[in-house]
Formats: sequence, C-alpha cells, structure tokens
Amino acid sequence: MRLGVVERGHRIPQKLQLAMIRVVTRRRAVDIIRTVMYRPEFFGRPMNEWTQRVMRGPSEWAVWERELFAAVTSRLNQCVF
Amino acid sequence: MEEEVMGSSVQKLATGGAGDSRLGPLVERVREAVLVGPGVTQPVLRQAVEERAAAMGGRTRASGVVGPIPADLSEFVDRVAVSAWRVTGEEVAALLEAGYTEDEVFEITVSAAMGAACGRLERGLAAVRGEV
Repeated sequence: MRLGVVERGHRIPQKLQLAMIRVVTRRRAVDIIRTVMYRPEFFGRPMNEWTQRVMRGPSEWAVWERELFAAVTSRLNQCVF
Repeated sequence: MEEEVMGSSVQKLATGGAGDSRLGPLVERVREAVLVGPGVTQPVLRQAVEERAAAMGGRTRASGVVGPIPADLSEFVDRVAVSAWRVTGEEVAALLEAGYTEDEVFEITVSAAMGAACGRLERGLAAVRGEV
C-alpha cells in the first residue's frame, strides 16, 4: 500500500503541480515526485537542493558519470528510479 | 595508466562527498529539516531512528543519540534501512493499525532512509580516505 497522504494529501500548490505533470506527461506523477512534494519543507525541498547540486552542480565528475553512480546505486537498492 | 585514472578518481571521490565543504551545508540542511524540524513525531524519536538506520548502513562513529525506539517500530526501521524494497503494504498497514498516523509513518520512514543513506555515505568517504 502507499500512504494516502503521500498519494493525495498534498497542499494546493503541490496538487496543482501534480495535475500539471499529469496533463503534460499524460501519466500519474511517479512516487518519488509525490514523496518529495509532500510536506516539502520536511524533506523534499532541501533534498531537491542537495540532489540538484550533486547531480548537476559544479564538479570534477561529468554529469554522465554522476548519473552512472546513481544508476548503479539504485540498482543495488533494487530501486527502479 | 589505468591505475593513474583510478587513483585520480578516488581522489575526486574523497573530496566530492559530504565531507566536501561545498556539499556539507546542503547535507546538513536536509538532516536538520528531517531530524530537528517541525513534525508530528518528536525529534528525539526521528534522531533515534536515524541513528539506528545509520549504524546498519555502516556509520562507525555514533552521534551519541541513543533514544528509545518503540518495539513495534524497530523491525520496520531495520527493513527500510537494509532492504527498503522488501517493505510490504502489510507492514505499513500494521503500523497504522498499531495507532501510528500516516504522517508519523512518513516521518519515521524518511528518518530511517536518511540514516541509511548517511551511514553509507560516511562509510564510503571514510573508506576512500583509507580510514576503514
């Protein structure tokens, strides 16, 4: 089961963003998006800043190298994202 | 040649993680939001959950927070920390039936995931520095 609050308990701004994602992609927003958008000040917002900085910010590592690290890590965690 | 490349990569890795002053503040901001920020659960519980999960993830130096974790949470926390993909709907439902609210389960889950991630990150950085 998914937590109901993470599935559909978002505040209005996040609900609108999720609706836009559905319209643009014609698909339900994936779980990780729903998770970081739920109570974003608790986890999602600072986590997104960290992720953005690590994955796209200045680094000696190329973006593709970082994506490869992330993919291998997700694979080890049996995570499809 | 290959060794040189690997050596250079390891050096980059050693300076490119949470120990890096460019990244440290961002990591700390996430940790602070999850472990100290406002929530429906007590910060001391979130910190205890994080510490337990981090120890399972390889944290070698405990932060000193050893709070109590209710018995009905410990198995769930361990599962999230070690093999989150094995968490079942029944386990989540059992926590809700035990009286936890969905927001409490959300915060506990995030705290456990945060601990597991930080424990592994710390362990990995210590390894490339040759400390473990």
